[in-house]
Amino acid sequence: MIAALALAMAGLLSAGSAFAADGRDAAQGAAQHAAKDRPPLRHGDVSYTFGIGAFTPSYTLPAAGSYELPTIDTVADHAVVDSSGKETTLSKVIGNRLAVVSFIYGTCGEATGCPMSTAVLHRLDAKLAADPAIARDVALVTVSFDPARDTPERLAEMQKQRASGSSWQFVTARDEAALRPLLDDFGQSVSRLRYADGTWTGVYRHVLKVFLLDRDARVRNVYSVGFLHTDLVLNDLETLRLEKPR
Amino acid sequence: MHTNRLIPRHAFAMSCALLLAAAFGAHADETCMSPFMPKLTGQEDYVYVWTLGVEGLGDGSDKLVTVGANPKSPDYGKVVSSTSVGGRHEAHHGGFTDDRRQLWLAGLDDGAIFVFDVAADPAKPKLVKTITSFEKDTELAGPHGFYALPGRMLVPGLSNAKDRDGRTGIAEYGNDGKFVRMSWMPKDAPYGYDARVQPRLNRMLTSSFTGWKNYMRPLGELMGDAEAMKNFGNAMVVWDFHARKPLQVLEVPGAPLEIRWALQPDHNYAFTASALTSKLWLVEAAKDGTFKATAVADIGDPSKTPLPVDISLSADDRFLFVATFMEGKVRVFDVSDPHHPKVVHEQVIGRQVNMVSQSWDGERVYFTSSLLANWDKTGEDNEQFIKGYRWDGKTLAPLFAIDFNAAKLGRPHHMHFGQKSFYANQVEAVPAT
Repeated sequence: MIAALALAMAGLLSAGSAFAADGRDAAQGAAQHAAKDRPPLRHGDVSYTFGIGAFTPSYTLPAAGSYELPTIDTVADHAVVDSSGKETTLSKVIGNRLAVVSFIYGTCGEATGCPMSTAVLHRLDAKLAADPAIARDVALVTVSFDPARDTPERLAEMQKQRASGSSWQFVTARDEAALRPLLDDFGQSVSRLRYADGTWTGVYRHVLKVFLLDRDARVRNVYSVGFLHTDLVLNDLETLRLEKPR
Repeated sequence: MHTNRLIPRHAFAMSCALLLAAAFGAHADETCMSPFMPKLTGQEDYVYVWTLGVEGLGDGSDKLVTVGANPKSPDYGKVVSSTSVGGRHEAHHGGFTDDRRQLWLAGLDDGAIFVFDVAADPAKPKLVKTITSFEKDTELAGPHGFYALPGRMLVPGLSNAKDRDGRTGIAEYGNDGKFVRMSWMPKDAPYGYDARVQPRLNRMLTSSFTGWKNYMRPLGELMGDAEAMKNFGNAMVVWDFHARKPLQVLEVPGAPLEIRWALQPDHNYAFTASALTSKLWLVEAAKDGTFKATAVADIGDPSKTPLPVDISLSADDRFLFVATFMEGKVRVFDVSDPHHPKVVHEQVIGRQVNMVSQSWDGERVYFTSSLLANWDKTGEDNEQFIKGYRWDGKTLAPLFAIDFNAAKLGRPHHMHFGQKSFYANQVEAVPAT
C-alpha cells in the first residue's frame, strides 16, 4: 500500500486570466501588498476547495509498465534562468532525460499549494538519490513563476535543500514576458490576486500541477492536488523507463 | 477481471416496455464536480444552461443560456445572455476543464463538442472552439459528459460510430482539444453513461444506458420495439483509474445512470439510481478493495415507472435529491445511514423534470425539465423551465422560474454554475466590524 499521505484537498487554483500582462506587477505589487492598511487575507481569499478533508491515498499501485501513459501534449523549448543567473533553456536543463516539472512561487504560504508540491519533489529527490540508476534518467525541475522575487539567489537557496548528489534544478524566466509563453505552453495558468482597487496582494492563484515529461518533451501525465504523491510519480517514471523507444 | 455475474441483455425488456422514457441526468451540481477541479463554495452568480434547440422556436439552435442566480443582482432569475452554436446537435451534457476556465458542451446526435471560454466574461461565455472529429478520433458516438482530469477531459460515450448501438468506451482529450486516447468498455458490460473518480481509492465507476439507435428514436416508437428494448445497460464497472483497466463488473439492473461518490473523507461508497427499475443503489468498497452494489431503496413506486433521472448528493453526505421525470417530482432521501435511506421530503416541480443541481452549501437547488428531444412529454405536459429553490433541510421554497418555451429558448438540460469573483481574482471587500 502506498504510505498514507495526508494532503488537504484545498489548494491554490488559478481561476482568472492567465498571467496578467500589466507590467507593473511583481516588484511593485510585492511592495504594495505589505501595506499595513490592508485587511489580512483570509483563507478563502487565497485557496479554493477541491474536496472535503484530507486526501489520503489508500490503494495498491498498478505494476510499473503494466499500463500506458499516453501523450497528453508536447511542450516546446523555452528560455529560463538558472540558480546561478545563467540564461539557458528548459531542454538544456533537462537534457536527454525524463523530467518531473513543477511550477511554484517561493513565498507561497498555502500548505497545500506550492509547499505541497515541493515536499513531494523533496521525497522524490531523496528516493532518486538512493537509486543512482534511476536518478541518471530523471531530471527534477522546479520553475518559479515569480521571477521578481525568486531571484537566482533565492533559487540557489531552495536548491541547497536538495539531496546529496541530486541534480534537481530551480529555474525561472528572465521576466514575465519570457515566462508567459512557457506557462501557456504547459497550460499552467497563473493569476495575481488583487485588492478591489487593483493592487496586487502579493499572492498568486494557480492550479497546482506537476508535469511528467518523456525524453521527447511529451507530457505523459499531469498531477494535481488529488493525485500527486511520490510513489505514484516514481511508478510512472519507471513505466516510462520500461517503454521501448518510439 | 472479476465479473460478479453476466447479465442477460434482455433482462429488462419487460419493464422497459412500460416506462421507456429512459433516463438522462447529468452531473452538474457543485457537489459532484471532479475532485480535480476547484469548487464554487459561495453564492453562484450564474447558472449556465445547455439548451436543445427546437425547430420553429426562436432561432431553433442549441444554445448556452446564462441565467442570473445572485439575488443581489438586478439580473436575478433572468436570462443574462444566450449564445447559439448553430444547428441542433441534441445538446446534452458538459463540464469545466480542471482550471474551470473553459466549459465543454456536447451534442449526442453528431458528437459535436463546443468549447466555451467562461473566464473572460462569466456573464457571456464565448464559443472559442468546435471539435467535430469526435467519432473519427475515438470510434465512439454520443459524447455524454466531460469530467475534468489534470490537464485533460474524460469523455464517456454512449454509443459507437460503427453500428451506433450501445457498445461504447471512454475517451480523453487534452485541454487544448487534442485527442489523447480511448478505452473500450469491457465486453461483458459494453454500455456506458457516467464515469466518476475517487482518487483516494484510485477507483473509477462507470454506469450504463443505451446507444444512439435508441436514444435518438421517438420514445413511443422505441417502446413498441421489443428487440430494441433489450439494449439497455444493466451493469456498473469498477476500474483501476490510473491504469484505466476494468477490474469488476457489478450487476445493477435497469440502466444505472448518475454516479455520486460520497464526499466525506471516510466514506468509501457511491450512489446511483437505476432508471428503469426505479431503485436507489449503494456501491461500496469492502475491506479487501472489491466493491458490491446493493439496492437500498425504491424510488417511488417502481410499478408506476417514475423514471429516476438525475440525483444530487449534499456535501455532508446527508441528503440525496432524486428527480423522477415521469412524475415531475423530486424526492429527498436522508442517506446518513447509506444502507437505509429514508424519504424526508417530496415535491412536484413541474409536469416533467430531469436535472437537479445543488450549490456546494446545499442551500440552493435548481431544476431543468428536458430529457431528450424525442423523449420529452408533448402538448401541455411539455413544460420547459429552469426553476430555482431554497432548501432549508426540510422543504424547497421557490425562488425563481424561467419558462424556456415562452422565452423561445428551447429545452433546458445541463446546468453549471459560474461566479464573477472566481474569475476576477479579486479579494472581496471585508465588511466593517
